[in-house]
Amino acid sequence: MKNLSILVVDDDPVIRHLLEQRLTKENYQVQVAEDGYIAEKLLRANSYDIVLTDLMMPGDIGGIEVLEIAKEINSQLEVILITAHSSVDTAVAAMKKGANDYLEKPINFDELFLRLDKIANLQTMFRNAQDLQVAMDTTENVASSTIQTLEMRVASLQESLDKVEIMLRNDHLPDDVRIINALDIIAES
Amino acid sequence: MIKITPAEQQLISQYIQTITGIYLDQSKSYLFETRLSAIAEAQGCKSYQELHNKARQDPSKKIEKSIIDAITTNETLFFRDKGPFELLQHKILPEVIDARSSQSALKPRIKIWSSASSTGQELYSIAIVIKELLRDSTDYSFTLLGTDISDAAVAQASYGKYNRFEIERGLDRKYLQKYFTLFGDSWKIKDEIRGMVNFKKLNLMQPFTSLGKFDIIFCRNVAIYFTLEDRKKLFSKLADSLADDGFLVIGSTESLTGVCPKFVPKRHLRSIFYQKK
Repeated sequence: MKNLSILVVDDDPVIRHLLEQRLTKENYQVQVAEDGYIAEKLLRANSYDIVLTDLMMPGDIGGIEVLEIAKEINSQLEVILITAHSSVDTAVAAMKKGANDYLEKPINFDELFLRLDKIANLQTMFRNAQDLQVAMDTTENVASSTIQTLEMRVASLQESLDKVEIMLRNDHLPDDVRIINALDIIAES
Repeated sequence: MIKITPAEQQLISQYIQTITGIYLDQSKSYLFETRLSAIAEAQGCKSYQELHNKARQDPSKKIEKSIIDAITTNETLFFRDKGPFELLQHKILPEVIDARSSQSALKPRIKIWSSASSTGQELYSIAIVIKELLRDSTDYSFTLLGTDISDAAVAQASYGKYNRFEIERGLDRKYLQKYFTLFGDSWKIKDEIRGMVNFKKLNLMQPFTSLGKFDIIFCRNVAIYFTLEDRKKLFSKLADSLADDGFLVIGSTESLTGVCPKFVPKRHLRSIFYQKK
């Protein structure tokens, strides 16, 4: 089982079933929606890694709206648009709104799988980077608390050492008193 | 990518240390290849030796500047490590304000310096803390200065625009809404904060007494790239640039033990700050 879950949105039943079959065969977790409304419901109810949506669909929720809803729910979600050759300009405009990529119909499955692999790799890298960041923050916190404790300890030892020096150099006191006082300072530190 | 030879590693390492103070040992020489290769190619150089010669002979210092930008650009975040900003808000600022208010009947003047400001996140975070702490900051006169060795960093800091990635870690949502405006795909610092700060170019290896004395100096995670000798010089100069009762804040994993006897560490909650002896 691949770790990616995909929502397929297309009003054309042939393409929808074809995508579902091929993606399932490649071990992706797939859910399908036959229009934008169902897509919105599914997006709000479940979490996906990738949305694969047709650009032109009947009703008020087309591919662009699905993209906007998906990005609003989770800005990390990757969206790939499926488009007819004639609407490539719209697809490019959609990429400016945050779509990751677009595929032209008829769908070339080799191309689709390559793009999905790329997204999977990027998401793995992103997660690793986040994990490393957390690990680094933890290490930094532990290191800083150790260093700060040592820094304060060194400073207080230095202070005691200075006092010991002043005491030992104090000519007004007899030697034995100086030594006893100095030992007391050391004992207190 | 142009490969670097061992002899070139030594040459470039020395050159970088001379112009920036940053000491990169053999283990970091991959940085030369990843960061300087593009500059070498753009200059039509086939080796780092050639780039080095060209940079030294260039009277406009353009190549040197681009090398500085490439080597010194480091990740920095808003409120990177919350400790220093909590320290500023709850301990340092109140103490400095009290001290300056009692010294004179005039409007207290408080000077703060972010001495390696990079792309500005630290200084803007300081400005936000001041704004949050003193709603009516017109009762005080603040000078907030940010300096960095890299022209590119100073330019980006002055512009105050950050992409999502630069902004989403560290910065609280409430501050994002309050102090930034969405600008295309990025966020731009609002004028009320931008207007509080100034940025300029400064190489910490060079003298900086002309900046005057500061009440608070931030010098975090910069000296770690210097040799011990250069670190000693830097903190000694910083001590001279700090008011007698001023505060120094260094990186949370840095230490001044064996570096500068002019400072004593003091602890406040989970953070340490330094004052002059």
